[in-house]
Amino acid sequence: MIAARSAPEVAAVRAADRTPEARGVARDRVRLLASSATGDADRSFADLPELLEPGDLLVVNESATLAASLPAEGPFGRFRLHLSTRYGPDLWLAEPRWSGARPGPLPIPDGLRFRVAGVRATAVARFPGIPRLAFLRFDGDLEAAMARDGAPIRYGYFAEDAPLAAYQTVFATVPGSAEMPSAARPFTPRLVRRLVRRGIRFARVVLHAGVSSLEDGDDVTGAPPILPEPFEVPEATCRAIREVRGSCGRVIAVGTTVVRALESAFHGGEVRPSRGFTRRYVSPAQPVRSVDGLVTGWHAAGTTHLALLRGLAGEGIVRRSYARARELGYLWHEFGDSQLLLPGSGRPARGAGAYFALERPARARSAW
Amino acid sequence: MTGRRRLAVVTGASRGLGAAIARLLARERYDLLLTAREPRALQAIATELRGMGGCVATRSGDVADPRHRRAVAAAVRGRGRLDLLVNNASELGPAPLPPLVDYPLPALEHVLRVNAVAPLALVQELADPLAAGRGLVVNITSDAASGAYPGWGGYGASKAALELLSRTLARELAGRRISVVSVDPGDLRTAMHQAAFPGQDISDRPTPEVTIPFWGWLLHQDRTAISGQRFRAQADRWELPA
Ligand SMILES: NC(=O)c1ccc[n+]([C@@H]2O[C@H](COP(=O)([O-])OP(=O)(O)OC[C@H]3O[C@@H](n4cnc5c(N)ncnc54)[C@H](OP(=O)(O)O)[C@@H]3O)[C@@H](O)[C@H]2O)c1
Repeated sequence: MIAARSAPEVAAVRAADRTPEARGVARDRVRLLASSATGDADRSFADLPELLEPGDLLVVNESATLAASLPAEGPFGRFRLHLSTRYGPDLWLAEPRWSGARPGPLPIPDGLRFRVAGVRATAVARFPGIPRLAFLRFDGDLEAAMARDGAPIRYGYFAEDAPLAAYQTVFATVPGSAEMPSAARPFTPRLVRRLVRRGIRFARVVLHAGVSSLEDGDDVTGAPPILPEPFEVPEATCRAIREVRGSCGRVIAVGTTVVRALESAFHGGEVRPSRGFTRRYVSPAQPVRSVDGLVTGWHAAGTTHLALLRGLAGEGIVRRSYARARELGYLWHEFGDSQLLLPGSGRPARGAGAYFALERPARARSAW
Repeated sequence: MTGRRRLAVVTGASRGLGAAIARLLARERYDLLLTAREPRALQAIATELRGMGGCVATRSGDVADPRHRRAVAAAVRGRGRLDLLVNNASELGPAPLPPLVDYPLPALEHVLRVNAVAPLALVQELADPLAAGRGLVVNITSDAASGAYPGWGGYGASKAALELLSRTLARELAGRRISVVSVDPGDLRTAMHQAAFPGQDISDRPTPEVTIPFWGWLLHQDRTAISGQRFRAQADRWELPA
């Protein structure tokens, strides 16, 4: 169910194994494939203001990345603990791993006591369907432990020992994500200023991303595709969306976390103020209703990410743009290149041709 | 929390959902008072949970029996304050499920007594210790409360009644700092579910452990903020009121 059969073939993708800065590329100069119903244009992220129109709304995730990877020690030796999601002051869902590159499950029966960065931990229960993940109770100050001994979660393909700051987006204000909400990483204060000057509006949500629910080789039978994650969609964001809809602007999510938050808050035909936990899965079977477009990165086949893309843009555009990005040598994963996906739902499709009209002076959408 | 261990009462804790909730609460370091009619299975789960280090007491009996309920209340009063009451014990009624037009009325009255009157009676008995503990009452309901599924009318009516009792209690008890929610756990592979589908293979239904993340979430919410709400443990979102 997770690995859709029609997944784009991505065997030959190039992974970003370092940050753009380490590759000599400014944050906001990663490549950007602008994809619509009719074509894909190879651009730079810094072109975003010209690729959007005055009156468009960018919805961003304010979640900040945690130093969620902690050294741990149990009766069987040292290991790494990846915090995923905070359920309560001392209750976390977490993933014990042998190392960043080597997943579990580890021999941690319910009730086992061990130490995580000097803090006492007790295994409470396995996550149903995903034995790699466990609920843990902590007796001690985990925040201090993270500040002292924590590092950002880093997976095997990423070669650089980048500091936590490299994992924060310019919008990050509310700590809580185990994995960086990476779609917003290329935004810089300078780029945000240019977007605002162009008449693009911003609104915020929070969704704290947990660890990826699935890993290659996981037995996914019965496993939920998405873990429950804390989210909040404030009233001001709902108001901004209503206004933009009223003036024919587009609602564009920056990251799939934003799509999931907005979809989770979609009740009775509109986005309403909401908060709680969500594991809303977006796919062609449960398509997107709350947004018209998406700024995102490039991720592996068979992931929930691609199911969401298909639910937003349809199979054709996703397949075509993934093939094009591969051809153009785009970099995959959270420190890689970007995509602007404007499938043109509910309005006339704007072809790649529109992207030539850059010199044209900015004109409000209400003109038509 | 520090210095004082929290106390929870779980009815119908000898198997199924009640046992899964009790297990999680024991790991979350609640002391427990567990009930069910049949003492042997109840003792077995109590012994298992004592192995986790907490204090686990049992009272066997029928929740529809006022003497049993008084025994539960007496045990709790010894502790003074109650943090959590999970009204989980329920009966399905006659199986196979009879259509309402043929429903034996004594059986219907029994289902209503066990599933709706008894949970309220326990709240009445335990109101003082619940108030002292700023307690949370969780009434386990079902989608049959609103589904109008043929055959499920008796059981469904009892759960519909329980849900209205929950919402009304939430308002009436807010001043005493007692919070009340109802939770629909969703389809679960349990003895009750098998009784509802006699002879059918129910192995595609998840075990009660599927609800663990929900309980982990619920138990850490601000109780007064969620009081009066109805949650679905297997839903794709658990939302706080606006
Ligand atoms: N399973 C589902 O699909 C499902 C779906 C929606 C809602 N629910 C609800 O979930 C709750 C738990 O059900 P379950 O599926 O876990 O059922 P179960 O496996 O049959 O367990 C029921 C528990 O309650 C006890 N019990 C039954 N009648 C009792 C009584 N009159 N007095 C005291 N204890 C009693 C049973 O022990 P004794 O027999 O020894 O008393 C047992 O411990 C119920 O409220 C049910 O309505 C279940």
